[in-house]
Amino acid sequence: MHAVRNVGLCTKDCLCLYVCPTGATDTETGQIDAEKCIDGCRLCVDACPSHAISLVPDAFSPQQKKMDAVKNSLLSLSESKSKQEKLADTISQTTDNPILRQLAMALCKSNRLMTEDLLREAGYMLPQSENAQALIRSLLESSPQEDFPRDAAEKLLTILKTNNNQNKDNNDMEASKTLDNLMAAFTGESEANRKYLAYAKKAETDGNLNAAKLFKAASDAETIHALKHFEVAGKVKSTTENLKDAIAGETHEYSEMYPDFVKQAEADGNKAAVMSCTFAMKAEEVHARLYTEALETLEETEEVFYYLCPVCGNIEKVTPEKCRICGVPGSKFIKY
Amino acid sequence: MKKYVCSVCGFIYDESTGNPESGVAPGTRWEDVPEDWSCPLCGAPKSEFQEQTVEDVTTTPEVSVKTNSTDDVRDLSFGELSAVFSNLSKGCAKQYRPEESDLFNQLAEYYHGKVEAVEETELGDLLTLIQQDLESSYSTANSIAAKNTDRGSLRALVWGEKVTKTLCSLMTRYEKQQEALLADTNVYVCDICGFVFVGDEAPDICPICKVPGTKITKIQRSK
Repeated sequence: MHAVRNVGLCTKDCLCLYVCPTGATDTETGQIDAEKCIDGCRLCVDACPSHAISLVPDAFSPQQKKMDAVKNSLLSLSESKSKQEKLADTISQTTDNPILRQLAMALCKSNRLMTEDLLREAGYMLPQSENAQALIRSLLESSPQEDFPRDAAEKLLTILKTNNNQNKDNNDMEASKTLDNLMAAFTGESEANRKYLAYAKKAETDGNLNAAKLFKAASDAETIHALKHFEVAGKVKSTTENLKDAIAGETHEYSEMYPDFVKQAEADGNKAAVMSCTFAMKAEEVHARLYTEALETLEETEEVFYYLCPVCGNIEKVTPEKCRICGVPGSKFIKY
Repeated sequence: MKKYVCSVCGFIYDESTGNPESGVAPGTRWEDVPEDWSCPLCGAPKSEFQEQTVEDVTTTPEVSVKTNSTDDVRDLSFGELSAVFSNLSKGCAKQYRPEESDLFNQLAEYYHGKVEAVEETELGDLLTLIQQDLESSYSTANSIAAKNTDRGSLRALVWGEKVTKTLCSLMTRYEKQQEALLADTNVYVCDICGFVFVGDEAPDICPICKVPGTKITKIQRSK
């Protein structure tokens, strides 16, 4: 993700020049040098008093999947709008009446915009999408006429980064030592994040507020590291796949891992461990069920709220009178 | 006191407040609003207004929806290809990718030039197509999009249908009034949704897509 400047909004206060650690914002072109810009730094974005700088992502999520029935109904309209554009264009070019020409020009532009919008929703929203590239490829392959701008089409195909590029890179990474390292780093950073939070809580209770602050900041820092390692390792997939992965993880925990842990804790006579593992085991079962529901209703747009028990980690879709796992009153639940 | 809603842009005329900006005093009954009065937002004629009823639920008319989703999606026409590429060109410009934007634009221009020429035509031909869109195509497409919970398509259809209604009313008025409709005023088109506005100054925001007036462009009258 790199920063870009909307030159129309820029009031030349130059705070972006003061804060940029690499000099990427100080160029003669008016635009920010993407090569020098640090991924996700956003110092200039926050510093700019006229909100002229924003971040442009390098990769985009695919457009919502379009059903053929929807596409066909949009295409029946785009066909009509496109014809109207041509009719209006013809009127504007052939009439001698300046007022009619003006009206026809307005109609022509209006119909072009509506055609664009309909086709965008029919699956051609993102320039980088596989869909857009497949269209260009099919036009190239259908032996177009000689005057077809072949160079432009071929150039576009080579420079457009696809949404799949990242996945391809990840395939190459499968089973490499770097992938192992990234995942080990992810585990270590994740663990450090939770550990520092626990230490921060303790420091706060003891009144060591500065130490608590540092633990919290460091804990957030480890989250940043962990998320980046995980992403680079290619572990963040589509939400459907991510939900399936989450279901598998939670199911393993509640059906295999925690039952053994509870037994062991009981055998050792460690009551606190029995309790923390039992709470977690029951909560993970709820999580697995909720993830399954979310997967089944992924396409639905009606907003759902979740309520988290701050004691045992149980999650409900309506606030219960008391937590069914640990018994804490429903008023303590946190809404998401 | 009753309220009347503009079926084109959704502007509400409230009898109790009237519309002093366009010379209609507060308390003016709908029957007494001049017949040549037009919607202050989108310019639609008085006949486009409907009384707002209490149970004013936006009922979508039941239409027989063809749900055969295995229908093949047809190839795009040259005009449509041009629009796909001009829109992708805009998409690249929004991402600050001028090179890709220019390349897409070359494809858009190429297909624009390939559209089959039309010999002779007049506004009436456009009106025929528009009426067809308004009578059946939009309601069918709306139902299919709603059934598939495709919010993006529904958004495009809602904007498009409103714009189409403004075009229909504008052309109908032009057929009646001819040049007098536009002679002493200006024509604007919203760069985002295609809303066409006839008036002295562009509205502050587009009544259809709500983009600020800076993105509503004046169409110049050339000699």
